[in-house]
Amino acid sequence: MDIKKFDLKKFILSKINRKITLLFIIVGLIAPSIAIFYFYNISISSYPESLSTNQAPLLRTIAITIIILIGINTGIIGFFISRSISRPIKDLYFATKELEKGNYNIKLDIKTCDEIEELAHAFNKTTASQAKLQEERKEIDSAKTEFLSITSHELRSPMTPMKAQLQMLEEGYFGKLTKKQKDSLAIVIRNADRLDRIIVDFLDISRIEAARLKFNFQETDIVELIKSTTKFMDAYAKEKNLSLVVNVDKLPLIEVDSDRLSQVLRNLINNAIKFSPDNSKIEISAVLDREYIRFSVRDHGCGLTSENQIRIFEPFYQVENANRRKHGGTGLGLAICRGIIESQNGKIWVESKPEKGCQFNFTIPTKPVKQIKPIKILFSDKGLIERKIKEEFSTILGPLGEVEFNELKSKNSLGRDDLVEYIDYLTELFIIPQQRGRDFKNSIEKILGYDKDEINEKEFMPCNYSNDEVVKRN
Amino acid sequence: MKKKILVVDDEEDIRKSVKMILEVNGYEVFTAIDGDDLLNKIGQVTPDLILLDIMMPGPPVQEIIKQIQNIKIAFMSVVRISDARKRGLCSQDNIVDFFQKPFNVTDLIDRIELILADKKYID
Repeated sequence: MDIKKFDLKKFILSKINRKITLLFIIVGLIAPSIAIFYFYNISISSYPESLSTNQAPLLRTIAITIIILIGINTGIIGFFISRSISRPIKDLYFATKELEKGNYNIKLDIKTCDEIEELAHAFNKTTASQAKLQEERKEIDSAKTEFLSITSHELRSPMTPMKAQLQMLEEGYFGKLTKKQKDSLAIVIRNADRLDRIIVDFLDISRIEAARLKFNFQETDIVELIKSTTKFMDAYAKEKNLSLVVNVDKLPLIEVDSDRLSQVLRNLINNAIKFSPDNSKIEISAVLDREYIRFSVRDHGCGLTSENQIRIFEPFYQVENANRRKHGGTGLGLAICRGIIESQNGKIWVESKPEKGCQFNFTIPTKPVKQIKPIKILFSDKGLIERKIKEEFSTILGPLGEVEFNELKSKNSLGRDDLVEYIDYLTELFIIPQQRGRDFKNSIEKILGYDKDEINEKEFMPCNYSNDEVVKRN
Repeated sequence: MKKKILVVDDEEDIRKSVKMILEVNGYEVFTAIDGDDLLNKIGQVTPDLILLDIMMPGPPVQEIIKQIQNIKIAFMSVVRISDARKRGLCSQDNIVDFFQKPFNVTDLIDRIELILADKKYID
């Protein structure tokens, strides 16, 4: 950005009180000048020639002095009057800023006995109702989480006798089963298990949302943990003849919840296995990156489109895939991973290109966080990114923005590459100026979580990705 | 002689199911519906093992188990409990295992067999 140029006009007229003071000074100079000019003319014409010529310099000096004095006086008065107007406006401004930050306790105390006081009064009322709404919203939110938690428990209770009876049938407790009975029972059992997994996932989500997920931080050997998790997953990988390759150097012992970390790793490896073609390999690596350890799971499967890269961490979002039905998961796995990682201050994101496989990355701080943050998973940021992009379109392009946005959305072109291409196209056709286009791109990248400062390109691209393939969640 | 197991759970279907499983596997099974009933039942028979649901209406389980010192107890819970909390709950020597509901039938039988094969606690 260029350095701000000093603009005299802007300096003098940028504030209300300066404007009014200047107005008073001008009026204070012009009004007495005109008055004295007439008085001077009249007095000259009514007195004899000699007297007026003798007294003329004195009269002129007095006149000028009076004009200047009046000018100064009106200037001072103007300054105080304008300050009485601009001060409450300034208070209002700061109160609005506070409100924007989410401080609903702000109350204005303006006693000017005029419209500004009325405005302040209206402002206070609005703030109070906003605060009430906010309070209600919080209550609804916690009620939702509570509801989720209670229903999940209630749903899980009947699973116990149900699964026990099903297993007894299967194990032949009540006599030998025919083939058809066995097949039927297998379907019931498989779906009961699936239902149970969904319930468990819901419970996890309700815990993450209420920041009630317990982290049991203990000094852990990360390398050992990765190896044991990979070994555990190897049984599943063998079904497709996949090889799990672990690339880890020495890592410091850090305090983490090994169960949770292993849960995330298992989930990512499980996904990688699902979407890998037979006989390919999956690489798992971990490196120390300043205050974080960065883990990545890389597959050579079908990869993700830009749209899917954005939405993959949303709950119940599942990539349409021929294999999908075959390994129907709950659609909550990645959303839970995000919850587990983000609630302890880590980040999770994906790098991918269609047909070139994808790489899931996440970071864990080497020093555990003291306060576990509540993370919204359900009903929250579904479409949040889209909404933000839409807003940006409206700010930059005005009413046209929404139309353009909807068209891009219908074409499924809301990925970073598509958007950059679109903005370039706009600047090339001079629909928006260069500088604006750059700003537009920057804000889009920010929304998509692509932050240039945070990604050390060389380090972050262990799989030869070019940097424009990165979509990062914040 | 058949080993005796007392199943304590407030849900009838769970009591019934566990009883069925255990009886097929050669145990003698008694049931109780809550903590008070449990104390009442152990006055009449001395089981080799108590399968105790950790969350039941009535008197808190933590209070009940203090009164039972020489019978093995295995907890059952539908709520997932972290390892750290499990260790905290297993404060008494006679608490021998922890079953997560919904349990696997084969796993339940195997573990109970193992618990009851241990001679140490048999008077």
